[in-house]
Amino acid sequence: MGEILVGKIKELKSDVLDMGKLAVTMLKDAVEALKSQNTQLAETVLDRKTEIARMDEAIEEKALRMIALYHPVSRDMRTIAAALKMITYLTRIGRYAKDIAKTAVLLANEPHLSKLVEIPYMADKVVGMIDDALTAFENEELAPLENFAERDDEIDALYYSIFRESITYMMEDAKNITKCIHYIIIARYLERCGDHACKIAEKVHYMVTGEHIEIK
Amino acid sequence: MSNYAIETRNLKIAYGKKEVIKGVNFKIPEKIVFALMGPSGCGKSTLLRSFNRLLDLNKDARVSGEALLFGQNIYGENVDVMSVRREIGMVFQYPNPFPHLTIYENIAIGLRLNKIVQGREELDSRIKWALEKASLLDEVEDRLDDYPSALSGGQKQRLVIARVLAMKPKVLLLDEPTANVDPVGTKNIENLLMELKKEYTIVLVTHEPAQASRISDYVGFLYLGELVESGPTARIFENPKHELTDRYVRGILA
Repeated sequence: MGEILVGKIKELKSDVLDMGKLAVTMLKDAVEALKSQNTQLAETVLDRKTEIARMDEAIEEKALRMIALYHPVSRDMRTIAAALKMITYLTRIGRYAKDIAKTAVLLANEPHLSKLVEIPYMADKVVGMIDDALTAFENEELAPLENFAERDDEIDALYYSIFRESITYMMEDAKNITKCIHYIIIARYLERCGDHACKIAEKVHYMVTGEHIEIK
Repeated sequence: MSNYAIETRNLKIAYGKKEVIKGVNFKIPEKIVFALMGPSGCGKSTLLRSFNRLLDLNKDARVSGEALLFGQNIYGENVDVMSVRREIGMVFQYPNPFPHLTIYENIAIGLRLNKIVQGREELDSRIKWALEKASLLDEVEDRLDDYPSALSGGQKQRLVIARVLAMKPKVLLLDEPTANVDPVGTKNIENLLMELKKEYTIVLVTHEPAQASRISDYVGFLYLGELVESGPTARIFENPKHELTDRYVRGILA
């Protein structure tokens, strides 16, 4: 019976990784669409929203069935537990991508301020964290998670700096307000995605070591 | 007086030249269920039997090291084997009530032989008490003169447990007590053990990790005569430290 479960878990992990890749590309594409004012690309992100929701449900169902049928323990149980939590975080990331894509459509007709402040740079950093958390999950190793607390601090600092820069533009010219409020909201979404990357990292840490940690 | 019901110190057991228990050390606190799990042939039953000196019956068996019952080495000098066995009740894999004795007599015999109770009234009340403790009284109260053949496998096993409890032991040793019992009987016996641990220390041998995870507080994993790992059950099943334990509980130990 144990070997059957081991095979099922491999499958489950690969499903979660596929879902992770989808969430990451949605986020990347949403920010790219915003930057290049490409409404077509933004629309494709919106279309992928249903796919990520479907994956969330399918993986949850599969994981729960594995618990019911195979009574997993030890590392098997920890992997399933991590997967069940991860898919929620990945769904949230996908939803933020969708929200950013919606904003990209709204902001497609006027040039951006100051090359979109630091949003693309911040998005790269966040995507890097999600990628590393997924790599750690795939290889069941802790190395990619090593400096997550510092990286999350950097994300928080970027959010704050975008916030302040946007306020400056709003004070300069009231016509900037709509755009700048969108920038602030997007930065806030990215900051949340960074937090989700940290939560994923915590679950991977639990899966690998059996110990619960909190990344602050 | 030790805080541990059972403690072993470098306990080794050999049959002839073959060492089957290779220096085992552990401590079993009082009033808990301790499960000894491991694959067939790893030495679980041998280890269990050493705790009430059942191995004395096997001429080939040699025991060294110490096995302490409430702080006293049962392999020490001047130890009265009978008194050790009275303190430690044993239940085997196959329910073994005496087939030629009634339900009542199955329990009475040990009490009579050991002159533990005086008079019919005391005997009656002790037998009812034991059946009650074994959660069997309601099912057999009106047929104490029937023979055990009328009972289901699970009921037979609970009758055996009642027979053991009647002697008022401090420790119960059970060697795969549900191996020959159906799921309902298994559930009844497991519930009974959960109840009995309030008053007794229970050591359970099982080849089924799921049973250990359901009802034990502590678990020891025995493999090829060595105690690979022991600890609180939840920890062993969530996060075992040893690779072999991990593979065993997950069911992938070759």
